[in-house]
Amino acid sequence: MSTRKISLSALLFFSVYLAQEAFVTQLHIGGGGFSLFLIFALLWAALSTPDIGALTGFVAGFLIDLSQSTNGAVGQWTFVLILVGFGISYLGLGYENVRMNPFTITFLVTSSVVVARVIYLLLSLLLGEKVGSFASIVASLFVGALWSAAIVPILMPFVARAYDFIDDSRHRL
Amino acid sequence: MARGGENRGRLLLIILIITSLFLITLDLRGVSIIGGIKTGTQSALSPVQSFGSTVISPVRNFFSDLIHLGRTRSEIQALREENGKLLTQIRERRGIDAQLEQLQGALDLAGKAEFKVVNARVISQGATTSFTQTITIDAGSDNGIRPNMTVINSYGLIGVVKTVYSSSALVSLTSDPSFRIGVRVAGSQQIGILSGQGSRKGVMQLLDNQSTIKVGDILVARGSVNNRPFVPGVPVGEVTSVDNAAGAVTQTADVRFFANFSALSIVSVVLRGPDSDPRDALIPAKPVPTPIPTVTVFVTPSQSPSPNASGSN
Repeated sequence: MSTRKISLSALLFFSVYLAQEAFVTQLHIGGGGFSLFLIFALLWAALSTPDIGALTGFVAGFLIDLSQSTNGAVGQWTFVLILVGFGISYLGLGYENVRMNPFTITFLVTSSVVVARVIYLLLSLLLGEKVGSFASIVASLFVGALWSAAIVPILMPFVARAYDFIDDSRHRL
Repeated sequence: MARGGENRGRLLLIILIITSLFLITLDLRGVSIIGGIKTGTQSALSPVQSFGSTVISPVRNFFSDLIHLGRTRSEIQALREENGKLLTQIRERRGIDAQLEQLQGALDLAGKAEFKVVNARVISQGATTSFTQTITIDAGSDNGIRPNMTVINSYGLIGVVKTVYSSSALVSLTSDPSFRIGVRVAGSQQIGILSGQGSRKGVMQLLDNQSTIKVGDILVARGSVNNRPFVPGVPVGEVTSVDNAAGAVTQTADVRFFANFSALSIVSVVLRGPDSDPRDALIPAKPVPTPIPTVTVFVTPSQSPSPNASGSN
């Protein structure tokens, strides 16, 4: 990975992270809303190789761990996103019909958001944290999935172009 | 080559997972470095979040209003109703405060003169059809009120009880045109007859042609036999103008009553007068004028330039 790639990716990730923290978290959207940064990171991972996907998950997870809105232990989201980032990039690898189809990408990322949140929840339970009632968890997961399914198609063209620009390769979505 | 790349990838994944687990362990064990990083990040992000909150606030409010449209409407309605109730309470409170002030004043006056009084609320005022100046109070014979008892308030004389019912009484006001009362000029002890004129103004005629009165003289009730209908010493009014007509046998004067008959709410009926005449003890103290602050500016003229100083070079 070249220095250009790393620096541009870092800049982009940091910008989206700032946008998430400064604006999206302030919106107080119903049902828990969505995480723009999480969707962006998983979209990025979906377009990457498994190594880069895991690394993306590590960086994104660590940044989410440092966020004010995260109550869990530092490293929890890092752990979750390493697995999910690796998984989503691994699933897409070699299946061009997955990467080149907006519907499958949307489905993949939306599912990954739900899976990531479920793993985080299970990890929280293992660490002895309080997670709320079953009904509220189900409602939150469902609303989160709906928001992700709505946001991914909007975000996808920008992420794909940015990825192409930084990666110097073409992914036709 | 592909196997080497795969192994490297697995190694990276393992390293990353171990690192994340290491981070979790450190955080759960309360290592200060992790906490410090989190605190530092949050401190750095706070200004950005404040800025974001300011920018997003109108949008957030708009969407919030949109989502909670029904609730917002009902809240506005509820707040309006609450506001109306509070305004009514404030108005009622103002009325109660005014009544309380009048009651306190009347009790002060009665206490100073050692009168035994019954306080009553004015329940109706005036009888415009009969052109008389009267009020009806909510206390009557059940409260010990009898005809020809003096009625006062915090400012002084109000009138005399004319008709008494079981739970109410009709009071003839001092301003009534048929009202006559013997008054005494405070200080000089001159006596005269004060007549109502249908307004806050009355006319007094001195009984003695040798006496003189002047503007600003205070008039008090002379009192009657057995303190009925008038108890002595109750302030009545102040002389505002004096008629010095050459042909008049005695002096007459215009008098302004102390009591404001159009703003009566609480009055006191004197059941028993004082054992001795309080003389001028009940006359209200003259208001002390508030000194107006003055500012004196001293200007010291600057030294005028000498004729030699200009154009000396």
